[in-house]
Amino acid sequence: MNADSEKSELVVLLVDDDPVEHTILKRKLASMDRASIRLEYVSNISAAVDRVKRAGIDLVFLDNRLAPNNDFRETAPQLRHAGFVGPIGIISSDISGAYFREFPEYGVDFRIGKDEIDGAAISFILSEYTRDQLSETCAEDFL
Amino acid sequence: MLKPEAAFHLGPELERALNRMDFFRLFKALAGSHDYQYFALAEVLGEEDAFDLHLPYSLHNIPDVWIDGGRGGIEHKDPMVEHLRGSTVACSMDAQDSSSALCRSGRVNSAVVIPLQTAAGKRFGLLMLGNAQRPRHDQLAVIAHDAAVVFQRYFEAILSLDSISGLNDREIQIVRWTSEGKTSVEIAIILGLSEHTVNSYIAAILRKLHVVNRAQMVAFALRSGLIN
Repeated sequence: MNADSEKSELVVLLVDDDPVEHTILKRKLASMDRASIRLEYVSNISAAVDRVKRAGIDLVFLDNRLAPNNDFRETAPQLRHAGFVGPIGIISSDISGAYFREFPEYGVDFRIGKDEIDGAAISFILSEYTRDQLSETCAEDFL
Repeated sequence: MLKPEAAFHLGPELERALNRMDFFRLFKALAGSHDYQYFALAEVLGEEDAFDLHLPYSLHNIPDVWIDGGRGGIEHKDPMVEHLRGSTVACSMDAQDSSSALCRSGRVNSAVVIPLQTAAGKRFGLLMLGNAQRPRHDQLAVIAHDAAVVFQRYFEAILSLDSISGLNDREIQIVRWTSEGKTSVEIAIILGLSEHTVNSYIAAILRKLHVVNRAQMVAFALRSGLIN
């Protein structure tokens, strides 16, 4: 997440070559009590890389299959190589493939099926990946 | 009735579960498969302690405003929490008759309370709440069994990690980079991970080594020869 985790608005980037998924996720976010989420959307990995380089993205939802036929093993590392250190979640209609188990090795933080995404799941994701896992005694001793 | 081939939370996803997000999905699916909308898993602590849903190993999808005014605990006098402290047997409750503040907040019809225990003897509890009909005895047995299966996997994949002595390769990498003055963000960029993942590793290392901060972590690792 952005270092400034105390800011009021969280910016989520959806990367999906199907614009319908953008509409669906926008509706799900709008139905949540949490008003301070801004959803941005791009349809391909190149645009996603350009966007994360400009900073300001707190979380990425990355569709597993992006045109022409790239799964997260090709796409997620591109975001990491671009310097993005926020959480990346893979979303897919089907996450049953055995290769999904490899997601940590590719810099992905979590995976979730598209049909599992609801307000509660999004709330959990946002709180899970914005919480401080380290105590104040572990704060890095520089600013 | 057990239908392992049809139940998401008992199928291949159970074996593939790696992190808290995976287990959030599994417990949510477990609750949903028995028509409960909400679940909460947490450790059962002392007599006067709340059922704390903000602890590192807790998982839940209960709206925060229902939980002790947003403070994250279900009070120790809640009948569900009292049952978890005093029993090892699952039970169901009619939420309308219950004095549970949580059930009243959620305006749910019924709740199931399932005591769980790890192989290491730690006590946990799983609550499931919703508008399902109160289960019969045989149905409750199935729910309790399903919960135990998922919880066992949670223990194997998450809870038991801290008791493993020694650091894995990734953890040693992170200690090494920390000893060279790298921040969590810098280590994340070097290793192609998120800052969150790096901090998760550091938190795990601190628990394993019984140290409190990065300086102590590095000092311990140097003294014990984990890094040169």
